[in-house]
Amino acid sequence: MIALKEVSKFYPPTARGAKPVLAVDHVSAEIEEGEFVCIVGPSGCGKTTVLNMVAGFESVSQGEILVGGKLVSKPGPERAVVFQQPSLLPWMTVFDNIGFGLTLQEGRKTRQRDKVAQMIETMGLGGFEGHFPYQLSGGMQQRAAIARALITEPEILLMDEPFGALDAQTRADMQKFLLAVWERLRPTVLFITHDVEESIVLADRVIVMTPRPGRIAETIDIGLGRPRNWDMILSPEFLRYKKEVLTILRPPRDASQNAG
Amino acid sequence: MGYSYMASDEIEAESAESALEQNVWKADKKAYRGYVPWLVAAVMIGLWWGVTALHLFPPTSLPSPGSVVHDFIVVATVGYSGEPLLTSTLYSLGRIATGFIAAVAVGVPIGFWMASTEWVFLAIDPLLQFLRPIPPLAYIPVMIVWFGIGETSKVVLIFFCTIPIIIISAMSGVKSVQETRVRVAQCLGANKRQLFRYVIFPSALPEIFTGMRVGIGIAWTCLVAAEMIAASKGLGWMIESAGNELQIGVVFVGIVMIGLLGYGMELIIRSVEHRVTPWKGKA
Ligand SMILES: Nc1ncnc2c1ncn2[C@@H]1O[C@H](COP(=O)(O)OP(=O)(O)O)[C@@H](O)[C@H]1O
Ligand SMILES: [Mg+2]
Repeated sequence: MIALKEVSKFYPPTARGAKPVLAVDHVSAEIEEGEFVCIVGPSGCGKTTVLNMVAGFESVSQGEILVGGKLVSKPGPERAVVFQQPSLLPWMTVFDNIGFGLTLQEGRKTRQRDKVAQMIETMGLGGFEGHFPYQLSGGMQQRAAIARALITEPEILLMDEPFGALDAQTRADMQKFLLAVWERLRPTVLFITHDVEESIVLADRVIVMTPRPGRIAETIDIGLGRPRNWDMILSPEFLRYKKEVLTILRPPRDASQNAG
Repeated sequence: MGYSYMASDEIEAESAESALEQNVWKADKKAYRGYVPWLVAAVMIGLWWGVTALHLFPPTSLPSPGSVVHDFIVVATVGYSGEPLLTSTLYSLGRIATGFIAAVAVGVPIGFWMASTEWVFLAIDPLLQFLRPIPPLAYIPVMIVWFGIGETSKVVLIFFCTIPIIIISAMSGVKSVQETRVRVAQCLGANKRQLFRYVIFPSALPEIFTGMRVGIGIAWTCLVAAEMIAASKGLGWMIESAGNELQIGVVFVGIVMIGLLGYGMELIIRSVEHRVTPWKGKA
């Protein structure tokens, strides 16, 4: 279980004499074991910062983050991360990249070759195990990165806009694929995106953030049923959720005029 | 309709295969790659020959290609001042190799250490920046006083001239590691040693290779200075000594030899680099 308690993050001033940047402002959230939660918000609202704090890459300025009841202080193998940018190690083959977590556990090049080979098949990367990352398409690279995160069967999967750079078709395929994997292994997933539809398609719960400083505007439970039926993206319920999220992200004009 | 689709598929498959036979999959190698370097060499030698044939300069300052070839044959067979060209070449190569390999073996770990530990950087960086601008010739008296006039002083001179660039490239290689890659290893549970082995060291390799390529050039540049220390063999010694005796042809033989050997070493390092870091520039 992941618990964020009144978490804030200040970054050091970017210019001399400027004020520190408040990137995340008193964010509180709880994510249950096996739950799939999306954080959606416009670019620059502090989504990556939240994920990096949960991963243990960034320190927390105020408040605290607990994972499995323990205070997060540094990265750990029970929290696997899939990054926004392509992050395969270019000096390793696809096979070695995917088996990297096992190699680190075993302290030598992994002996669990069957496990890696099976993961490669599952990910539809068969025949590419000897290739280097630069010889793969963007979608294949990201699938390999997900495979690398999954192979150690982590309890928690932290994903930072993993499909942001993919074309629409590949992205839809990857979403289906991710859900299938999740149904099977049931990790706790914290998935970051700026794509409203993506968040509704994937999540049990969508956390909507507002920009600068990043705050949680609302949390919406998505009752679209599991396993997801892909036709539901045309259903009225789906559109209702979409409208709900979009309204929070972009308040109707007359409302903001009244407020101003 | 179905038939026409099949037909067009077949045509496509056929043309794709014939394209394969023409090796289209090979990254387009430009035809001029094969001959431009040779063309440049030919033009240079042609110009050299033309200038000497027109007697624009006295032969004591610019010998003709023919007389340099003649001197080359003499130096290669009879030798210069009793030393055959091969002996001198091997001596010079040995000094360069020893000094350079020692500089890499010592410099790379120092660079890594400086990049990872701040006080080490603070301690060594001023020293390094202080040593860097000192010309090789200025070291000669010190080398003689400290290491005598044997092989040691020559090798140490090459070592000292080469090591700064190696240290700096190793250090900046480590510093240029992408944070995301470090994080990848950290969140998969890498300890410090594993982080270094699987992420930091491979990240630093391309810059280390660049440093080595610059370094080997510097090492050859130092050779003449190194062999001014009481040497009686070596290409640097041959150039220096023949110059004093106004045997300009032999000087040219030495210059051409150093140029060719330096070029050869560059090609070797380049091919090792290509093999060890095939991803360079692609990720
Ligand atoms: N290392 C940093 N130093 C200073 N400011 C930062 C740093 N990282 C992010 N920020 C700022 O914090 C805010 C949130 O950034 P980020 O978490 O990356 O947003 P998102 O992922 O939602 O696009 C942005 O305004 C950004 O400029
Ligand atoms: Mg981001």
